[in-house]
Amino acid sequence: MNIGGHSEPNIEVHKFYGGTVLGTCLLALVFQTFLHKYGRWSELIDLPLLVTIYFGVSRRNPVSGLFLGAGIGILQDALSHDNPIGMYGIAKTIVGYLASSVGARIDTEHPLSRFGLIFLFFHFHQAILALTQRVLLNHSAPLFTIHLFVDSLVTAGFGVILFALLDRLRKSS
Amino acid sequence: MIDTFSRHRPLSLLAIVVLVQVLLLAFQIKRENNVRLVRYWAVELMTPLERAGTWTFSHVGGVWGGYVGLRNTRAENERLRSELDKLRLRTGELESRSAEAQRLSTLLNFHDAHPEAPMLAAQVIGASADPTSHTLFINRGERDRLRRNMGVITPDGVVGKIVEVFPSTAQVLLINDKDSGVGALFAVSRTHGVVRGSGDPEPHMEYVINEEKLQPGDVIVTSGEDRIFPKDLLIGTVGATKPGNPFQVISVQPAARLDRLEDVIVLLSLQELAPKKTEESSEAVGTARDGAQPPQSSAPAPKSAGIVTDPNKFKPPVAHVPSAAPANEAPKAKPAVPQQ
Repeated sequence: MNIGGHSEPNIEVHKFYGGTVLGTCLLALVFQTFLHKYGRWSELIDLPLLVTIYFGVSRRNPVSGLFLGAGIGILQDALSHDNPIGMYGIAKTIVGYLASSVGARIDTEHPLSRFGLIFLFFHFHQAILALTQRVLLNHSAPLFTIHLFVDSLVTAGFGVILFALLDRLRKSS
Repeated sequence: MIDTFSRHRPLSLLAIVVLVQVLLLAFQIKRENNVRLVRYWAVELMTPLERAGTWTFSHVGGVWGGYVGLRNTRAENERLRSELDKLRLRTGELESRSAEAQRLSTLLNFHDAHPEAPMLAAQVIGASADPTSHTLFINRGERDRLRRNMGVITPDGVVGKIVEVFPSTAQVLLINDKDSGVGALFAVSRTHGVVRGSGDPEPHMEYVINEEKLQPGDVIVTSGEDRIFPKDLLIGTVGATKPGNPFQVISVQPAARLDRLEDVIVLLSLQELAPKKTEESSEAVGTARDGAQPPQSSAPAPKSAGIVTDPNKFKPPVAHVPSAAPANEAPKAKPAVPQQ
């Protein structure tokens, strides 16, 4: 699987208005921390992960995808109170890279494919987090639980809606 | 390398970015004992390399020391062998000197123990060319005022007597020579006899009647009747005995090691080596005189020998008489001592 190669010529690369990517990412982080104050239900949705996946599959550039994921992840670590810097950074770097690579090969416009893509990336993201915690922190982080499964379904459902909203920020081709 | 990086640029960047963040984590995370993870990793990473380096250097050093460094080993080995040979010779020489010093020390102790007796130390310088003749030569002679019939002893016991005197040497007839005879008695029973050479390494004691009860190991000392040896010098011990006609055949084990003599003492007088000399015993000696001139009359002790004669101070040096009979006890038999 040549996931780091060049983009296919028949796949459309979406462009956004200036500042859209940066502003959306910052808003996602702000909302994530803001909603955190109003209850644990906000933990069901990982907004930074969703924007990472969205801009990755939309822009279809692995380099920008991994840097975007790294930036979002490091900021998310920095905004958390006990995470060492890099935990989310590593996970979202890899997710951003893979999302860009996958977006260049498959159709990511259909809501169902978006749902499936978010669901898979959610668990992949959790797996990387758990692996990192096990290896680096010696924590026995679970790879899969029912709670995570529910989280992934909620996040995927919310992501389909969010992606549709974000599609409006694209430049018209 | 650069070409590979360019071809897989996104993947390489991913690896770099992830690696940077892993390092970032490693700087923050602390393990047991408050050790940062990056330090833990660094140690874990470096330890095998250090071990490998140590192993390599030790083996390279071993190869160097075991092969390359052995270039001069052959020459050094020869030099060390030569040195070892010299040291062996030196050791042998020192051992010889040590043995000589020990022998001389024994003689000196003997002399110091009997300052009253005139005596002279001598070295054995040769032996008889005739295997049947038990004689030897010593390095003292007429110049040292030695005379015939002077007794020769060692701290262990009686050796023999001087039979020939030359200007600088003298010939000693050992007690196991067939022409030799020494007036003797048993230390315990005080029974007299004569220790005579038989031509064998062991002399025999003669003129002891069959009724005399003897045990192997009984001590035999000089009787003084031969006018050569003072009384009570150790001759040896009884070896094997068997009845004879008319006297017992008694084998004597000489106290002195007659086959390994190196240093001897020449008695320059008949000064008795006894603590006290009773009148009776003196009479007994006097009656046993057979005309032979006492050595001390013909050979006065040289003053240079530093010898003092004081018989009252003398203790028997070698005749370890366990329960000697009183000195005034009359001997049971007084065979005639042959003239030697």
